[in-house]
Amino acid sequence: MPCSIELKNVSQSFGNLASNNMTSESKSPTITLFENLDLSISQGQSYAITGPSGAGKSSLLMLLSGLEKPSSGQGSFINDKHISTLDNLRSDIGFIFQQFHLLPELTALHNIALPLKLRGDKQAISKARHWLEKVGLSDRADHKPSQLSGGEQQRVAIARALVFSPKFIFADEPTGNLDQHNANEISDILFACCQENNAGLIIVTHSNALASKAQNIYSLADGALTKTSSRNSAGDQQTEKNATHDLTKNLSTNERLVASC
Amino acid sequence: MLNHHMQLAWHYFAQEYRQPHQQLLRWVQAILMIFIVTLSLSSNTIQKYLQGNLQNLLGADAVLTQKDNLTTNQFTSLTHLSENVVKTLQINATLTYNGKWQRSKLKAVGSDYPLQGKLLTSTSLQSPATVTNGGPNAGNIWLDSRLFASLALSIGDAINIGELTFIVSKVLIHEPDRLMEGHNVSMRAIVNIDDMEKLAFPTDLIQHRYLVSASKSQIQQLIEWQQAQLPAAKIHHKQGDHPLASFWQRTENFLGLASIILFFMAAIAIEQIAQVHLKKEQYFSAVCMSLGATKATGLQLSLIKWLINILLLIPVVAILSSVFHWLILGWLSETFVEITWQLELWLTAKTIAICVLLFAVFHAPVWLTLWQTSVAKLFHQNQKNMSLGFIKLCALVVLVLVAVKYSDNGLLTLMLVGSISITILLMAAISWTVLTLGEKATQGFSGLIPFTLFMMKQRLLSKSTQILGIGLSTFLLLFTLMLLKDLGDTMVSYQRTHDGNVMVSQASQPEMEAIKQWSKDHNISLRQTKPYLYAKVVKINDQALSKFTEKPSDSLATLSRSIRLHWSQTIPNNNHLVQGQWWQKETKNWQQISLEEEVMTDLGLSLGDKLTFIIHQQSYTFTITASHVYKSGAGSITFWVQMPQAAIQHINAPQYNMASLELNDDQWPLLSQLWTNHPSIRMVSLQELTKQFDDILGMITKVISGFAVMIILLAIIVILSSINALESKEKKKNSVIMSFGFLKSTCLQLNIIEWLITALIIAIGSIAGTYITGMLIYQSQFSLTYQPNLFILFITLAIILSTVTLLGVYASRHSLKSSVKQLMFDV
Repeated sequence: MPCSIELKNVSQSFGNLASNNMTSESKSPTITLFENLDLSISQGQSYAITGPSGAGKSSLLMLLSGLEKPSSGQGSFINDKHISTLDNLRSDIGFIFQQFHLLPELTALHNIALPLKLRGDKQAISKARHWLEKVGLSDRADHKPSQLSGGEQQRVAIARALVFSPKFIFADEPTGNLDQHNANEISDILFACCQENNAGLIIVTHSNALASKAQNIYSLADGALTKTSSRNSAGDQQTEKNATHDLTKNLSTNERLVASC
Repeated sequence: MLNHHMQLAWHYFAQEYRQPHQQLLRWVQAILMIFIVTLSLSSNTIQKYLQGNLQNLLGADAVLTQKDNLTTNQFTSLTHLSENVVKTLQINATLTYNGKWQRSKLKAVGSDYPLQGKLLTSTSLQSPATVTNGGPNAGNIWLDSRLFASLALSIGDAINIGELTFIVSKVLIHEPDRLMEGHNVSMRAIVNIDDMEKLAFPTDLIQHRYLVSASKSQIQQLIEWQQAQLPAAKIHHKQGDHPLASFWQRTENFLGLASIILFFMAAIAIEQIAQVHLKKEQYFSAVCMSLGATKATGLQLSLIKWLINILLLIPVVAILSSVFHWLILGWLSETFVEITWQLELWLTAKTIAICVLLFAVFHAPVWLTLWQTSVAKLFHQNQKNMSLGFIKLCALVVLVLVAVKYSDNGLLTLMLVGSISITILLMAAISWTVLTLGEKATQGFSGLIPFTLFMMKQRLLSKSTQILGIGLSTFLLLFTLMLLKDLGDTMVSYQRTHDGNVMVSQASQPEMEAIKQWSKDHNISLRQTKPYLYAKVVKINDQALSKFTEKPSDSLATLSRSIRLHWSQTIPNNNHLVQGQWWQKETKNWQQISLEEEVMTDLGLSLGDKLTFIIHQQSYTFTITASHVYKSGAGSITFWVQMPQAAIQHINAPQYNMASLELNDDQWPLLSQLWTNHPSIRMVSLQELTKQFDDILGMITKVISGFAVMIILLAIIVILSSINALESKEKKKNSVIMSFGFLKSTCLQLNIIEWLITALIIAIGSIAGTYITGMLIYQSQFSLTYQPNLFILFITLAIILSTVTLLGVYASRHSLKSSVKQLMFDV
């Protein structure tokens, strides 16, 4: 039974910190990012949230992941018909960042093994090696982040986020630091890997090209969230698979392996 | 342009003022400068005081001192070279009264005493002091107030010394020539010079002192005459050094050496802080350059910011140092009477300037990196290069040079610097071994401990720097405190084990016979006896001792006085040979000696060097053929200089003995009887030794406690600096861990485990370092066997573990304030 995340009637606003000690009359108005927003995220599906800078995309991501509380409204995690707060989601989520955030002193292999080691998994290294192969970096296992290109670092970050089989992956501008070629490659790997692992993928991005690869596309602007596209049907999924197949057709063997994940 | 840069630098300085790395840097610099400036100011005041004191309190224009009486010819020559001469005699004697005894300096003067200055006496302990001309009449004795109290005497009482009886007629308040006796706090008594002759003390035990009034040119002639005719005699004069000058110089050097330890710690702290500085300034400079500024601009801004920081510290340092200077002089006024505080602006400025220069050397890696920076560094930060290593090596060399400059005792300095180096290597080895083995051993396991070991191993280099920094501070602190404790414990237990409870330090042959008879009569155990004669080193390799070396040291200070020269056929049981060859039993070659290893090192002597001694007014030259050191377990009486037994056939001089006795409680009163008959026997009881030792220990405790506070302060700063240096890495690590779905509590657990492992390595390293240092220094410097108490070591281990872990976890709390959100917005 797939899990899901639901936000109901959620609003997020911030008071002006500088005026905290002022009287109520002299306080600056609070900044409202969005109001009365509803959103449902299902495991196994991909979502893209687009919108202008400052619209509150990243804040929405924080709410969805349960790392921040909304000013009003409610977020819930539904797991096998059991409904709980988003706090219970913590151990089932992974993150991918624009800046990759690999630990510089660890090799690619050890960066990937990190979450497994922390969880006490005795197979951490062999699983990490398997994931390195999946993202096409088996020959870079002993390289440190400083010896990898941006694209390679993001592949390691994707493997690291997925290695412990989280139910949801939150990605904040995962291709924002990459060139077009690398961005395409990484996004293909990301979508393919999440799909293979049946992980829900929630991406925040400015890139229409990246957003277009998601099954569900939302736009957040002027405090409102609008669904702009959905490819949830079986036909859509078939189309998507074909599109993936078309994409991989022109890639090298290694890259094909990656894209198929 | 410069004005513009100044404004800009001020602006950035103000912005960075409250940042932790800037605050830590200010603390290190301020603490060290306050310590060094206070030390310099106090030293300078004392030196000035001694100089002024010498001018006013010599009691003569010059004083000639020697063991023997001057011959008639010599005395005639002396009177020709001066306007007036007054002779005094002095001996160490034990005075007894009603079963009580007290060691004292017994001085004999005539009616012509004093030559210059005022002799003050009073008729009772409560009466005011009056100026007195001439010493006591024959049959009278004057005692100082402490001796009065100690023997429970009153004016008019009669005391026996040897065969004579003396009437106590006055209280001695002040002798104008006391200064000549150096830093000496012995109790004192004066008798008439004719009585001294009647007491018939062994003549060579009496110090003959001639107070001379002379002009400058006469003093010069006198010095030349003494050097030619009486090389074993000593001259003090108003143009020369104060008798306390070399004592103070050595104290100063010891404090200087101690301050080197503080410099080492400050260097560690600054090195840690510089890591943060380096990144920030390099980044700032590269951004400036990417905006069209020159490379020099970044460097200038950094330099000006650093200077502003120092300039703002200077008034604080100057004021606080002056306050501490004033407090220290208040404390020292018990020893240096009427010493006064004065504002010393020039010296303060000079000392601060030297400190600033040293800080600049420590900070140089930051500026060198800025000089080598380029816009490309924005893309590839943290590129290490050889020059940085070179600069750090230079800082280390500067520290070692300062240590050598301050060194008073070559062997001690070498051992201290050697011990620090050994501890550094030891800690590096322990870090590597514990983390590597720990990681390997736990590879098959999973969980927080194996993970922490794995992460620490991956960060071996940065972690080792942190461990070395904190570890070295802990080692220095531990060693300082251990030294204080163990020195007291070991010394007392050692004395009890091997030496009995009474030590005879000087007994002539008849006196020794009397002691033997006395101990036999009363069934007192005589533990050991060793013969010696007095000898004074006047030349080394045909060069006068004073010209051979000007560097003050313990060895030189001792050799400038008469030393005890021991003879033996075979190497004593409590010595072992470290260099050369001990003489054959029946050797005919008597002009050879064995010298203690520390004396050899301090004076830079080697086998084959020649030492000329004056023994009972005759000159003898010996060649160094061996060098020995003290070995514990066979009694504590040992000698620095030893010669073959055959030598004694060729030297005509009075012989003395050292011995140790064991008295039980009932036998103590019998000592009084022995001393009444033989007042010049020098004996000291364990009780007195312990008291003397406690007094010294009390003073050392005060100094070491103050010093320990400085070390603790700096150690805390080193810990904070090392955490500050790794804070950004730690923050990122915690955020990344949280992005894997873990809670802050997991990060806290990891943090605690990491600090426990760090503290364990530090504790093992510092305890092992202290142990090795103890083995090296205790044995060589204090002739004591280092026997660490395992229970105390275990307690110390627990204290270090908990303190470092608590401090580490507390100081790392900022790195736990991380979140996934920060990673998201970290662009």
